Amino acid sequence: MFTEVKTHLKLILKYFTFNLSALTEYRTSFLVQVFGMALNNASFAFFWWVLFDRLGTGIGGYGFTDVMFLWAVASTGFGLSHVFFANANRISGMIITGELDTYLLQPKNPLINSISARMSVTAWGDVIYGIVLMALIKASGMMWVMFGISIFTAALLITSIAVAGHSLTFYFGNMEAVGRTLWEFTITFSIYPETIFKGPVKALIMTAVPIGFITHVPLRLVRNFSWGTLLLLFGVTLAYALFAFILYMKGLRKYESGNLIVTRM
Amino acid sequence: MGKYLSIAGISIKNSLVYRASVTGRVVFYFVFIFVFFSLWSMIYSGNEIAGYSLVQMIWYVCMTELVVFCSGSEIFGRMNHEVKSGEIAYRLLRPWNYIFMQFADMLGSMAFSASVFTVMAVLLGFVFAGPIQGFNPASVPLIVISFVLSITMNFFICMSLGLLAFYFEENSPFYFIYQKLLFVFGMLLPIEFLPIWTQGILRYLPFSLITWGPARMVVNFSYEYAFEIIPMQAAWCVFSVLLAMFVFSRGVRKVNVHGG
Repeated sequence: MFTEVKTHLKLILKYFTFNLSALTEYRTSFLVQVFGMALNNASFAFFWWVLFDRLGTGIGGYGFTDVMFLWAVASTGFGLSHVFFANANRISGMIITGELDTYLLQPKNPLINSISARMSVTAWGDVIYGIVLMALIKASGMMWVMFGISIFTAALLITSIAVAGHSLTFYFGNMEAVGRTLWEFTITFSIYPETIFKGPVKALIMTAVPIGFITHVPLRLVRNFSWGTLLLLFGVTLAYALFAFILYMKGLRKYESGNLIVTRM
Repeated sequence: MGKYLSIAGISIKNSLVYRASVTGRVVFYFVFIFVFFSLWSMIYSGNEIAGYSLVQMIWYVCMTELVVFCSGSEIFGRMNHEVKSGEIAYRLLRPWNYIFMQFADMLGSMAFSASVFTVMAVLLGFVFAGPIQGFNPASVPLIVISFVLSITMNFFICMSLGLLAFYFEENSPFYFIYQKLLFVFGMLLPIEFLPIWTQGILRYLPFSLITWGPARMVVNFSYEYAFEIIPMQAAWCVFSVLLAMFVFSRGVRKVNVHGG
């Protein structure tokens, strides 16, 4: 078991090094896309700054720094997810086109192998933006500690939610739209204060699709730390990752090859 | 004219075929409006902010998103691709004006999006906010003109930015910056939320006229406002068409066709 984990971590690292060197080959394009994504995120910071400035008060118990913390965790977590596992959002496409065949022939776990084979360029902009934002808001020590922990749980949760959503394609045919919508939900709901969501929406993001654990629970920990909540964060993250993994692996048994011939360069 | 109408007709048929992509955008539109409804409901407590009531604010977001979802910004990516891949060389041989052919092609899908998202916007506006107090149905023709001008203006600006691929290897920063200017100067918040000195400048700039212009007309209509905004939108619209033609006519001279 331990050897298996070690082997796959090495594989992820190999893909990372290889993809990064490929991306930096086109340096200008790489820098432009990274800068563009950071700029995109910054426009939302401007929105919140204007809003808080105009209101002169908090929103549902959240201050400007709190919202920026949500943004920092979501941005860097999302970035890490797409730096290491950019193909997670392409699983449906890979199933439909038969592209999975390539990964099935290799002596590594097909899920880990396929999702870590690609790196998103713009995701680097997200990673950097979150860190810069934390520095700009002069985050407290506790915020930095929780940021350091929750970017990894966030990355794992965002990847797991994408894997779970797209794995439905194994069971019900092309579910690309569902996977993509789930992805949009994940981003949209994690960058707004928890208190604006109520009733069934709040229940949904705290249970079946645990979006609330991406940014909202880490912020709760910043405000009122408890070991129990931290363990809950780790527990939910690991449980959901395991659930997504099992869903994918069980679904894989239903996969039918499309005899597609592809060249990986 | 006939050939451009035929292109627009084909484009509408294509939009009808790819229903799944429309469904995805409809769901996203709904989620976006829902989140903003939740946010503004939390912020407002029976008061007005920057001259907007809660009802007006929700309708405002529904309308700015309507512009964004219908304005055919994809033209930037298409222009970028056609110029960089050299595909444009094949299109130049055809008996049409390249700029207007592209407009006709996008017109079909924009018309389709407009019909779907207008229904969505009105429906969600009523469900989440209820009717706008004092809304005058007689204002609808002027509002429609304002929307059409907004969408056209945005289309030709995005096209010009895409055509900058003739001049720059990497032209996406121009598009990124333009998109963000739209975001912050009217799409997410009315310009009345910004400092007063900026409002005086922004009300004459295309970024605000594209989103804030028509949305403000819907939520707080007055003939004075409409007759101030529509001529400015029309002027920017003409300017954006001329800009696209200029960027194209100068850029196309740089195309080298080597056969093949």
